[in-house]
Order: sequence, then structure tokens, then C-alpha cells
Amino acid sequence: MTPPLIEARQISKRFGALTALNAVDLTIRSGEVLALLGDNGAGKSTFIKVLSGAHPASDGEILVDGRPVHFASPQDAAEAGIATIFQELALSENLSIAENVFLGREMTRNVLGVPFLKRRAMKRQVTGLLDELDAHISDPEAPVGSLSGGQRQAVAICRALNLDARLVIMDEPTAALAVAETRKVLQLVRRLADSGRAVILISHNMHDVFEVADRIAVFRRGRKIAERERRATDPEEIVSFITGAHPDVRALEMQS
Amino acid sequence: MSSRTSLTLPILAGLWILIVAGLAILQPSAMALSTVTTVLQFSTLLALVSLGQAMVILGGGAGIDLSVGGTVSLVAIIAMLLDTAGVPSFLLPVVCLVAGTLLGLVNGILVTRLRLLPLIATLGTFYVYSGTALAITGGSAIGGAPAYLLPWGRGTLAGFPLPFVTLVLPLFVLAVLLLRYTAWGRWIYAFGFNERSARLVGIPVDRARFIAYGFSGLMAGLAALVSLAWLGSARPNIGQNLELTSLTAVMLGGVAIFGGRGGLVGVLAAVLLLVTLQTGLLQLNVNTIWQVGIIGALLILVLLVDNIRMIRRTA
Repeated sequence: MTPPLIEARQISKRFGALTALNAVDLTIRSGEVLALLGDNGAGKSTFIKVLSGAHPASDGEILVDGRPVHFASPQDAAEAGIATIFQELALSENLSIAENVFLGREMTRNVLGVPFLKRRAMKRQVTGLLDELDAHISDPEAPVGSLSGGQRQAVAICRALNLDARLVIMDEPTAALAVAETRKVLQLVRRLADSGRAVILISHNMHDVFEVADRIAVFRRGRKIAERERRATDPEEIVSFITGAHPDVRALEMQS
Repeated sequence: MSSRTSLTLPILAGLWILIVAGLAILQPSAMALSTVTTVLQFSTLLALVSLGQAMVILGGGAGIDLSVGGTVSLVAIIAMLLDTAGVPSFLLPVVCLVAGTLLGLVNGILVTRLRLLPLIATLGTFYVYSGTALAITGGSAIGGAPAYLLPWGRGTLAGFPLPFVTLVLPLFVLAVLLLRYTAWGRWIYAFGFNERSARLVGIPVDRARFIAYGFSGLMAGLAALVSLAWLGSARPNIGQNLELTSLTAVMLGGVAIFGGRGGLVGVLAAVLLLVTLQTGLLQLNVNTIWQVGIIGALLILVLLVDNIRMIRRTA
């Protein structure tokens, strides 16, 4: 059997005396959407920061395609095919869609050592990506500042696709969106997974999670306390895990 | 960004026509080729310094270079001192460029390595540079600039001063190309506007800003060279007020003070407008104190018009 795309083994993260992550095991396979749920401070964000190279883990190891890797920076993670879309999206509103998608890794033609932009080639590629996502954005030269929240998510996803990302991590992609926009972004998430990529989705919205996720992992106080196939669970059970009302959680927390 | 510059240019052009028309009515004798030459001669220094200033401000992070005037003065003095001390005259242009760049890079270190606020760092170096220039010379000019420089510094081509034709125009064209058509240009706009996102995609923001301050120093060094070639002597106060007038030109030209927005064509237009206005007022024998006030009022007016437009658009 082929190894999973990403395997996190016994990942711990301590900030001084505070243990933000405690021996978390998690695997992610290509083509699936994994939702991370949990209260604020449960460790979800810390976990994705470790995966995306923003924080080094204090303990444990990460395997990509079964091989251990070390990420010193988000660029390292990007090289390994892990792209993170942060909540604030990190787009430059004064630049166009195409410029944002290619920011920092522009297609260029070197003239005397000066990297001149290949505008037409970049525009063509971004048009292709937007079509692939069915994002309904007609002009890749439009400034990002003129786009809606959902369209900006689409641009951020385009950027991840353009990196040939095999794992796309999305932090609360629908938090600030209207209903119709949320629909659209969830469709984008599904399409990413159907195209053979893996997606990790952080969300507080149970409805969104049950609509799009294949598997659900619940974090609580720095531990992964539960992992369920979506088909084998329901929102009530997940909520009881998050709040700590579930008998399993109680038993676990009595021990420690 | 483009929508902002597109209205800046018509406004500046309109004001310029207004000024020229006013001057033509009040002082018809000023309508001569020699006035054009004078305006462009004075514009050369300001245009060079403003180009550097614009790059620093476009790069954001509260970027500003208040030391440009002091740099111009100090570079001119250093170059002439070395020249009289026996350094071969043909090296004088090189001395100007190197000294200017180094003084600019000091700002770059203060801002990007030592994390000083640019306003404070460059205010400090402004005092150090301009103070040193005055202290070394005791306030008097150093004459005797190499004779080979003068034909270039004072020469004209069809009424256009040679330094303007050979330095200002090519440098602005190159800088516009750089900003519009290269990856580096996109990066400047990106981190000038949203530093965090630029860092996340791996753009070397600090190195780029360090270079921007060095470039501003280089432009100030060039301005010092032009002043030597034009006046034939190094004046310890030649850069006086250039920091404020260059800031005025950059903002009047449509560059946002917070960075990431605006273009260089507007800056050059604003330089020409400012110098035309100053020259016009001079021709009309308006007191220099009033001139400064009028320029200040102009700056506030143009920024107000721009603000009203921005508010309308967002409303």
C-alpha cells in the first residue's frame, strides 16, 4: 500500500511552560478533505502552523510520501507541496489577480539579469486556473481590491494550485462570507479534493464541515481526542467531543 | 494604482497650464526659451532626489528619506575636498556616486537592521550629514570644480540642459520600466502595500528596502555631481530644503505616503510643476517666503481633491 501523503507522528509543540500540542498523530491522504475542529486554543492553528513550516515542532516528525521532512520556513513546506491559505489570505489588494497568483514566483524573461515579466503567459495560466475552479472571474487583470470575499478565496486557492500544491491547508475560509459565497468556496474545496489533492479545513461551522469533509478530527486542549469518518458520525457527537461532554473525553481527561 | 495616477496627471497638467497662462499675462517677457532652460536646470536636482524619495516611499513600511538634502550637500563637499586633496579629477563622478550610495545605505542599515523608524533614522542622518557639510567648510563654498565637467553641467541641447537630457530622462524611463515590467517592480508595490503577504510568499523585503535607501543615496550623489558641474563649486547648503520639496513632489505626483500606490510619471510632472511655479513667482518678484507658503497650500489642495475622490469612490 502506498504511504499516506502526509503523516504527522507524535507532534508536540511547547511555548515555554505551555503545551500547545501534545503528541498529535494524524494522516492525510490525497483526494480527501480533513476537517479540524475544536474550541479556540485547542491546538488546531498551532498544528497547521507546524505543518506549514511557520513553527518548528518541539517533538515528533512529519513524513511526506513516507519520508521524514524538516520545514524551517513556509517556503520549505511549499517546496514539499504544502500550501497554506491563511485567514487573512495574504493578498496584495493593489495588485491584479494574476500578479497575486504569481507574486514571489513570477514567470520572467531575464534581460541583462533583470527579470522582465511574461505578462501574457501568466495571464493565460491564471485564466486556465480560474476556469478549472469554475470561479466566475472573467478578468485576471482586475485588482484584487475590487473582488468579493469569496472571489478572494478563489484567488488564494489559485495561488495554491499554481504552486502545484498537493496539500492545501485552509484556515476558516468561510468565516467572513455571506451564504452564497460560502456555498461557492465549499464547492471549490470539494473540487480541490476531487482533483486528487488533499485539503485540511479548519472551521467552526459544523454545517460547512458536514457538507464538505470526508473525515473529521477534533482537538481539545492540545490533543487530538477523536477522529471520525463523516459517514460514521453526526453533529451531536462531534459537538460533545468539542465541549468535552462525551464520555470518552471525560475518561481521557480523568486519566491525565 | 492606475486609477489614481490617471487623474493625477490631468490635474497636474491643468495646474501647470494655469501657472504658465498666469505668468504669460502678468509677465509676457518670461515666455522665452531661456525660462524653459532655467526651469529644467533647477528641476534636474529636484527630479533626481525625488526619484530616490519616490522609491523609498513606494516601498512602504513608513519609508521616507529625510536625509536627501544633507546627502547632496555632504557628497558635494566630500567630492571637492578629495579633489583638492589630490585625488585624480576624472574620479570625481565615481566619488559622488559611491559616497551618495554609502550615505544612503547607512539609512538602509538603520531602518532594516536596527529597526529604527525611517522618519527618526533619516531625520537623524539629515542633521548629521548637513551639519557635517557645514562644519567641515565653516559655511563657505569650495570652488574649483574640474573644468571638464562644466560644459556638461552648463550645456544645453535645443534649450534642454544636458544633465536633464542625459540623466533625468533616461533614469525616469528606466525606473518606470523597472516598476511596470519587471518582477522587482511588482514586489515593491506588493510589500509597499501589504508587507506581511509579501513576506509570506518569500519576497526579501528587508534586502529590497535596504537597496531602496541605497538608491535614494545614489540619486542624491548624482544630484551633487550635477550641482558641481553646474555651479562649478561645492556649496555646503546646496541640498537645503530638498528633503521637503522632494516629499512634496512625490506626494503631489500621486504616490501614497503609506506606500504601494502611485507612479513615477506623476512625480516627474509634479517636479516640473513645482519648479515652474517657483520660477514664475520669482519672475513676478514674489517674496520667497510667500513662495514656500504657496507650495504648501498647493500640496494640501491637491491631496484634498484626491481624498474627496477616494471618499466618493468608496461611498
